[in-house]
Amino acid sequence: MERRTFLTTAAIGAATAATGVSVPALAQGKKAVIGVSIPSATHGFMGGLNWHAQETIKRLKTTYPNLEFVLATAGAVGKQVNDIEDMVATRNIDALVVLPFESEPLTSPVKAVKDAGKWVTVVDRGLSQPGIEDLYVAGDNTAFGRVSGEYFKANLKPGAKIVVLRGIPTTLDNERVDAFQAAIAGSGIEILDMQHGNWNRDKAFQVMQDYLSKHKKIDAVWAADDDMAIGVMEAISQAGRQKEMWIVGGAGMKEIIKRVMDKDPQIPVDVSYTPAQISTALEVTALRFVSNTPVYGRFIIGSTLITAENAAQFYFPDSPF
Amino acid sequence: MSDLTRSDAPRPSVAARLPGLSALGPLLALILLVALGATLNENFLSAGNITNVLARSAFIGMIAVGMTFVITSGGLDLSVGSMAAFIAGVMILGMNALLPSMGVGLPLVLAGMGIALGVGLLAGLGNGLLVTKARIEPFIVTLGTMGIFRSLVTWLADGGTISLDFGVRQFYRPVYYSGLFGIAWPIIVFAIVAVAGQIAMRHTRFGRYCEAIGSNDKVALYSAVNVERIRLMTYVLLGLLVGLATIMYVPRLGSASGSTGMLWELEAIAAVIIGGTALKGGYGRVWGTVIGVLILSLIDNILILADLVSPYLNGTIQGVIIVLAVVLQRGKSSSA
Amino acid sequence: MSAAPERAAAPVLELVDVRKSFGPIEILHGIDFALHAGEVHALIGENGAGKSTIMKILGGFLAPSSGAVRLDGAPAPYASGAQAEASGVVVIHQEFNLAPDLTVTENIWLGREKGGLFLDHRAMRAGTQALLDELGSTIRPEARIRDLPVSDRQMVEIAKALSRQARVLIMDEPSAVLTHREVEVLFRQIERLRAQGVALLYTSHRLEEITRLADRVTVLRDGAVVRKAGRGELTEDGMATAMVGRKLEDIYPPRRHQAGTVALEVRGFSVPPLVKDVSFTLRRGEVLGISGLVGSGRTELAEGLVGLRPATGEILRHGIPVAIGSVRDAAASGIAYLTEDRKERGLLLDKSLTENLTLSTLARFGALFIDGRREEAALSRAIAEFDIRAPRRDMKVGNLSGGNQQKLLLAKTMLGDPEVVIIDEPTRGIDVGTKSQIYAFIDALAAEGRSVIVISSDMPEILGLSDRVLVMRHGRIAGELEGARVTETDVVRLVMGTNEQPTGSASHV
Repeated sequence: MERRTFLTTAAIGAATAATGVSVPALAQGKKAVIGVSIPSATHGFMGGLNWHAQETIKRLKTTYPNLEFVLATAGAVGKQVNDIEDMVATRNIDALVVLPFESEPLTSPVKAVKDAGKWVTVVDRGLSQPGIEDLYVAGDNTAFGRVSGEYFKANLKPGAKIVVLRGIPTTLDNERVDAFQAAIAGSGIEILDMQHGNWNRDKAFQVMQDYLSKHKKIDAVWAADDDMAIGVMEAISQAGRQKEMWIVGGAGMKEIIKRVMDKDPQIPVDVSYTPAQISTALEVTALRFVSNTPVYGRFIIGSTLITAENAAQFYFPDSPF
Repeated sequence: MSDLTRSDAPRPSVAARLPGLSALGPLLALILLVALGATLNENFLSAGNITNVLARSAFIGMIAVGMTFVITSGGLDLSVGSMAAFIAGVMILGMNALLPSMGVGLPLVLAGMGIALGVGLLAGLGNGLLVTKARIEPFIVTLGTMGIFRSLVTWLADGGTISLDFGVRQFYRPVYYSGLFGIAWPIIVFAIVAVAGQIAMRHTRFGRYCEAIGSNDKVALYSAVNVERIRLMTYVLLGLLVGLATIMYVPRLGSASGSTGMLWELEAIAAVIIGGTALKGGYGRVWGTVIGVLILSLIDNILILADLVSPYLNGTIQGVIIVLAVVLQRGKSSSA
Repeated sequence: MSAAPERAAAPVLELVDVRKSFGPIEILHGIDFALHAGEVHALIGENGAGKSTIMKILGGFLAPSSGAVRLDGAPAPYASGAQAEASGVVVIHQEFNLAPDLTVTENIWLGREKGGLFLDHRAMRAGTQALLDELGSTIRPEARIRDLPVSDRQMVEIAKALSRQARVLIMDEPSAVLTHREVEVLFRQIERLRAQGVALLYTSHRLEEITRLADRVTVLRDGAVVRKAGRGELTEDGMATAMVGRKLEDIYPPRRHQAGTVALEVRGFSVPPLVKDVSFTLRRGEVLGISGLVGSGRTELAEGLVGLRPATGEILRHGIPVAIGSVRDAAASGIAYLTEDRKERGLLLDKSLTENLTLSTLARFGALFIDGRREEAALSRAIAEFDIRAPRRDMKVGNLSGGNQQKLLLAKTMLGDPEVVIIDEPTRGIDVGTKSQIYAFIDALAAEGRSVIVISSDMPEILGLSDRVLVMRHGRIAGELEGARVTETDVVRLVMGTNEQPTGSASHV
């Protein structure tokens, strides 16, 4: 599914619902409170996600005066659990939109919200027990790795040598890397090295410096994240080896998208994994309270290869990400 | 009684004058690491790799030199990593804002450096005043300011990344990437800071007072030492050095975000302790800190160059080496 | 050297030809020493003679370099202080082994708490109360050690040792910080323990205590036993002579001083919350003694004068008012204070002699960089001038004996060339030889035309040194005595408040 198209549809649907006064699920005068719990903006992707969340909440509030949002960002699992408990206890929320910091520890607190009869939307990272949430909106990590791997397979000759930067060791990272490896299997591409760059520019810069010291010939880099891609680029230009290799990042940071648009030979493509999925989750959840649109189910936002041709539709110059 | 004095006159032995083996523990560990690195990968001792390791050590290094004084005088500063991110953010925003009026050039870069040092000084002054005037535990003060600086930079960046204008960056870039006589600037600046720090610790009143205060602040107070001012100065000095580190850091990637300088405080503190400075204060060794910083950088570098263990275990190796470096000193000094 | 009286009973704990070296320096040279059940054995000697080392070896804290430690005739089965305690050998240290943030009860039961899974607070508290009652002490079991005065901490240390059911009790100068009344209580306890068959080792610099308590005396000098004696065989004079190795004349300087112009005048001086409305004058070349009980405000007054405590009132130097808000201000006005607590406030125990010596006057040793050679030269002068005996110049001050620490502290204070010197407890915990040296220094200071204030709990010291005596009680000046009126009886009356003199005549200047 293509994200932008979906968003447009949802927005139109919502607008119709608002203007047409078509039997809202809510009694007149009573406000619906939607709790939003997401991790705090500790790195680029989450920063983007926070921005999208805030922007969407602003927009939805203006459109639907009878919706109220409670946004809480958490820097740690424990804090997120507390946030959710507080929302139920003190703000009497009608719905919860949550991006779990980690799946396991958040499962039972979220289940408690559901058991209290609230609406639950889970974003990006699934809970460890199926069937709790009413709505699931997520990116596709396997597709993210697979799309990247397919690009490498199609654009490198057998025997080509690549290096990989991994993120913070998590299930999510494993899914991506496994899918990437599966996608390049049998292509004859050799992975020289695979180290953790922790989705951090500085760390990626240092890891890449060391790769460059260690390996005389590198044909391509899978940086797996646009923040890391920026650190990698700097290390390569410091070594003066820009001509030797190209880089694929991921997630759709505006600077990187811009380079793809501008046909930078170092960054031929990017792979989408959009922080705007939180907007989708919020909009769809809002629909539940302002219209009768049936919104149950799972929305998996696939990862798309961003090329010079389609880059424009992934480019948000105003987003901090 | 006077004849007794003569017979009891001090007779310093030669052995007593040499630095104990324990003092050389970190140096020994560093030499072992270098030897290990050299055997595992032939590129380890290449000029390029050595430059990389030294240059990336420079930020933590300068901060750790400042941290040595804070810890020696019995303090602690957990806020330096966030402070670096905050200073970098303000510096970049300031330079971007001044760009239309000043244009790309040396004045703009100097203005940026001035901003970095100024913000660093104020941040250090804030920490120091809270510790000395408000008499709050340094751990609590800097834990608080750590969160404050971190969230301020996230807020300034709108949760994303603050990037330096491309043109300015091209002009400023050489401050990290080029140097003098083939030695990169960050390495030169770090070396100057380290040497000056070592001299300040060993040969100036400031260093002596830091040790005295850390050793026993009551004795220092009774000995006419201006305890509060010296403490304050250690935090201000550290703030300035964080500013200086940021000046060298910003041209590297030209950006700052909420994740800039993450955990630098712990690396700096670890380097100080590995170097032989007492965490409870009272004894500081700046050259040891430099070695500590190099050890930390080298471990990272060797682990990536060598493929020794699963990358999942990198943290384990680092932890073991840090603890070993400290045990090495401890074991020797207690038997001496 | 005379043989110790022979006893049929075998010693409980003994050292046989014990030697101890630190690095290349041997500090104990073949010590034979025995403790018998039901006896108080006094170990005396100057500071640095090796008493502390012997006690540490007996108590399992140090292992001898050669020779044997025997408990009940067999090699002592312990290698640490804790194991020694388990064997019934308990040491009461001069530096208290108490956790300052724990309460009296918690300290006494530390490591042997009563109760199973949960602590039996009631039983422990009752046990503590019983011990303290036995000692006639009014310390509350709930009090934190940090909040107790030094003498009370000593009592807690003794109570703790009693609770250990010691067979051998080693006491390192237990009376040094106690008041007369407390010393009496201590002595009764020692006598009771002796009657119960405990073997006691007692050290003190107060020789009259040795005469009264000791069944045997062993005199140490420079790491060797120089005299062993039974009860009554040695006079106090004989002990002192054996310790010092020569005949001791009067330890106090012989003459009174010629007082000059007024160097310091203090008017209506208060140091909240204790010291109220104190006024006095001090002349050049004069030694002014300040006496009074512990807690009478003597130290608080001195600390107020040098800016260590917030105070109100007027201080005039040579008739000119000065504002003193810190030790630096005081130094600038030529006033220096030598603290009573040399280990916690006077010296950096883990630093070298040089660093300690120059700490308060470091600015004189170079503008930007410290001139190491000048520091070394200053130390050489101090060592010569104050007769500081240190095996090595770069050793930690904490390893010096108390007397040498005190001399170093004096040297450090005098490096600033103060005109008014306030010395708080100049000889606490110091042997008789060093005492007389310090008295001579104080005398020399006055003779040079400096003004000296001596604060002391030691009555003979006050009487022997002072030209004039101020007595403090409850934070006020209870009276002033001068010339022929400086007698022990008069001072004690004022200290105790038994003689309400018409204070107006004497104290308010």
